[in-house]
Amino acid sequence: MKIIKYLSSLIITLVIISGIAPPIVEFPMHWYQYPIIPGLEDKFRNIFFHVPTAWVSTIAFLVSTYYSFKYLTSKNDLYDIKAESSASIGLLFSLLATVTGALWAKFNWGSFWNWDPRQVSIVFLLIIYFAYFLLRSSIKNEISKNNISAVYNIIAGISSIFFTFILPRMLTGLHPGAKGGKDLGPILGGSISGNIMVTFFVSLLGFTLFYLWLLNLRTRTGILMKELKYD
Amino acid sequence: MIDFLEQNQLFIVLTLVLLIWFGILIYLRTIENKIVKLEQALKKQKGNN
Repeated sequence: MKIIKYLSSLIITLVIISGIAPPIVEFPMHWYQYPIIPGLEDKFRNIFFHVPTAWVSTIAFLVSTYYSFKYLTSKNDLYDIKAESSASIGLLFSLLATVTGALWAKFNWGSFWNWDPRQVSIVFLLIIYFAYFLLRSSIKNEISKNNISAVYNIIAGISSIFFTFILPRMLTGLHPGAKGGKDLGPILGGSISGNIMVTFFVSLLGFTLFYLWLLNLRTRTGILMKELKYD
Repeated sequence: MIDFLEQNQLFIVLTLVLLIWFGILIYLRTIENKIVKLEQALKKQKGNN
């Protein structure tokens, strides 16, 4: 875990520097210069932060679903703690993705909120996972709480797949990859330069490692709270 | 002063984001230290019992 901790801290620090500092020029002559992306210009820098936060929230929700399933099959309390921990990190990163996305939308599409299918679907996800925590806090009996919230979390995980990967592609919208849109976006469309691509994938790696560190911390806190009977 | 801020916008943003990031790292490190102390205390307590 020490390696993951130091590596994620180092990688995200480097991503912040290499995402914000390099100049954007029309004809890049050096590796540290980024080319102009038509329609995005300086605003494209947000891609190094907005997409990884959304990526981490998706991973966290799926991992949480996996641990809920493991809990139901084994009845081991550790899996319930891990499921709750991962869901809480997923919720945090969903909020971050919503904020970074709204800021990007303001400067690219004209307003913070545009009722784009992907914006609406993340709100549904936020409501679903807020309800998960409300459900957990409303049941006093430990075993009932763990069982019911695990079942709910599996249904929430399946709906998160629908809201993340299926719904935004079924409807027309402003995000790349929406129905009827030919633009796959700068990453999937493969229209961006190598140095942007490297920074982007390094950012995904750094944020994923950061999620693992947070999951470790949150799980250890959950175990301590359980052992000390602190609620 | 305004000229300096206008000419170095990116570096001001970079400095602020780095400050926030280092703040988050220090906060997480403090939490981790507290968790380790609690884990050790609990282990010791279990050993005594």
